[in-house]
Amino acid sequence: MTTLAAWVRSIPSWQVTLGVALLALGFLIAAQLASEGPRVRYTTQERSPLVAAAVALQARQETLKDQVLELRRQIQEAETRGQGSAALVRELNDRLHDARIAGGLLALQGTGIVFQLEDSVQPVTAGGNEADYLVTARDVRTLVEELWLAGAEAVSVNGERIAQSTAIIDIGGSVLVNSAFIAPPYQVSAIGPEDLYEQVSASQGFVAFVVARADAFGIRLSFLESDAVDVPAYAGTIAFRYGRVIPTPSPVASPAAPAP
Amino acid sequence: MHRLRNQLTISTVALVLGFLVVVQLRVQQSSPGLAALSAQNLTVLVANLNTRNDQLRTEVARLERELAGLTGAQSRGETSVDQIRQDLARLRAWSGLEPVVGPGVTITISGAIEGAGVEDLINELHNAGAEAIAVEDVRVVPGAVVAGPGSALSIENTPLGDPFEVRAIGSPETLTGSLTRIGGVIAQLAATYPLAELTVTPVERLELPATERDLVPRNGRPRL
Repeated sequence: MTTLAAWVRSIPSWQVTLGVALLALGFLIAAQLASEGPRVRYTTQERSPLVAAAVALQARQETLKDQVLELRRQIQEAETRGQGSAALVRELNDRLHDARIAGGLLALQGTGIVFQLEDSVQPVTAGGNEADYLVTARDVRTLVEELWLAGAEAVSVNGERIAQSTAIIDIGGSVLVNSAFIAPPYQVSAIGPEDLYEQVSASQGFVAFVVARADAFGIRLSFLESDAVDVPAYAGTIAFRYGRVIPTPSPVASPAAPAP
Repeated sequence: MHRLRNQLTISTVALVLGFLVVVQLRVQQSSPGLAALSAQNLTVLVANLNTRNDQLRTEVARLERELAGLTGAQSRGETSVDQIRQDLARLRAWSGLEPVVGPGVTITISGAIEGAGVEDLINELHNAGAEAIAVEDVRVVPGAVVAGPGSALSIENTPLGDPFEVRAIGSPETLTGSLTRIGGVIAQLAATYPLAELTVTPVERLELPATERDLVPRNGRPRL
C-alpha cells in the first residue's frame, strides 16, 4: 500500500493533467458517437458551405415568417378600424376572423395531446434496413392523419401548422414540413376534444401504425395530454396563382353603405 | 526543454478538446439534423429553403401592399370595405370555404389502393404546388382524410367508388411532371399497389367545390 502511494506521488503533475485531458477527450468522442444512433453523419468538405447556406436560409425563413405574422396582425387591426357602415364592417370582420381561424392563420390553444416520435435505439438486425429504424415523413403523416380522423381540430409538427397546402416530405433522414426543415425528435401537437387520446388509440389505423413501427422497429412514441396545447399560426403564403374564386352569394355582397 | 515539450503537449490536447467541444455544441444547437444529410440532400434542402423564402418574400410584399392600401384609404377618410371584402374572399377560397376554378390535373384511380396511398398522392400534389384539391366532390382541407382499406375507401364519410377522381388546381405541366417523373409518387404507388391504376390528365379548367366541414374549432381558442 505504501509502495502504491509512493508510486502515485512519483507521477509528474504534467502527466496527470495530460491523462485527465485525454480521458475527457475520449469521453467526448465516445459520447458523440453514441449519441448518433443509427443516423449517418457526413463530414465531407463540400458539405460545409451547404450547411452554412442551409443554416443562413433557415434563419432568414424564421425572420420572414415573423414578418408575415406581424403584417397579418397589423392588417387585422386596420380592418377592424375599417370605415364605412359600422354594422357592415363588424360583420365583415367577424367573417374574416372565422376565415382566419379556418385557414389556420391564428395560433390556437386548447385541450389536446402532444405526441413525440423518435428514432429507434434498437440495433439493426442482420440483413435489416437502417432506414426502417428512423422516423420518416410517412410516420409523421400517419400520426397527423390518425389525429384528424380522431377529431383533432388543429395540428402542428415542431411548430409548423398543418394547413390546407401543407406537404410533409422526407429529405435524407429528416423531414420537411411546409418546406421548413424539421429535425428529430418530431413533436406532433393536436388540439381536440378531451377524449382525443382515447379516440386515436382506439383507431385500427393507429394500432396498426404502433405494431408496424414501434413494435417491429422500436420507433419511440410517447405522448402528453394537456389542457393547454399550443398550435402556432400558419406563416406561409395564401395567394392563388392559378386558382380563381367563385364567390357564393352572401349577405355581405350588397353594396357598402356610405360612411357615417 | 523537457518541461517546454510537456507544456506543448498539454496545450495541444487542450486545444483539440476545446475545438471539439465548440464544434459539437454548435452543430447540435444550431442545426441538429443537418449533420445527418448528405451533400446531395443538403442541395435539395437549400433549393427548398430558397423556394420557400421566395414565396415568403412575395407574401410579405403582398401583405405590405395590402396594409398600405388599408391605412392609406383610412387616412384619406375613404371606405375600406372593398379591400376587406377582397381579403375575405381570398382567405375563404384559400381555406376551402369557397369554390375555386382554374387549370390543373385530374388523377383517375381504379383498382385496389389503400387510403394511405391516396394520402401520399395528395401530399405530393401539395409538394408540387397544388393550390386546391378535391377527392370526387369533397374539398381537401385540414381534417379531411382519405381512409380505409382498398375495398371501402371514404373521405368525410363519403364512400369512394371505383374508379374515383382526385382533382387539383395548379400548373398542369408542373403537377403532371412532378407526379409522373421517374421514381415519383405514381411509380411508387404502382409498385406498392400493383392492382391499382392511376392516370394523370392535364386539364384547362377545373371547378372545385367548397368544403362542407366546419373549420371553426370547438376546443381551441385563439391565442393572443
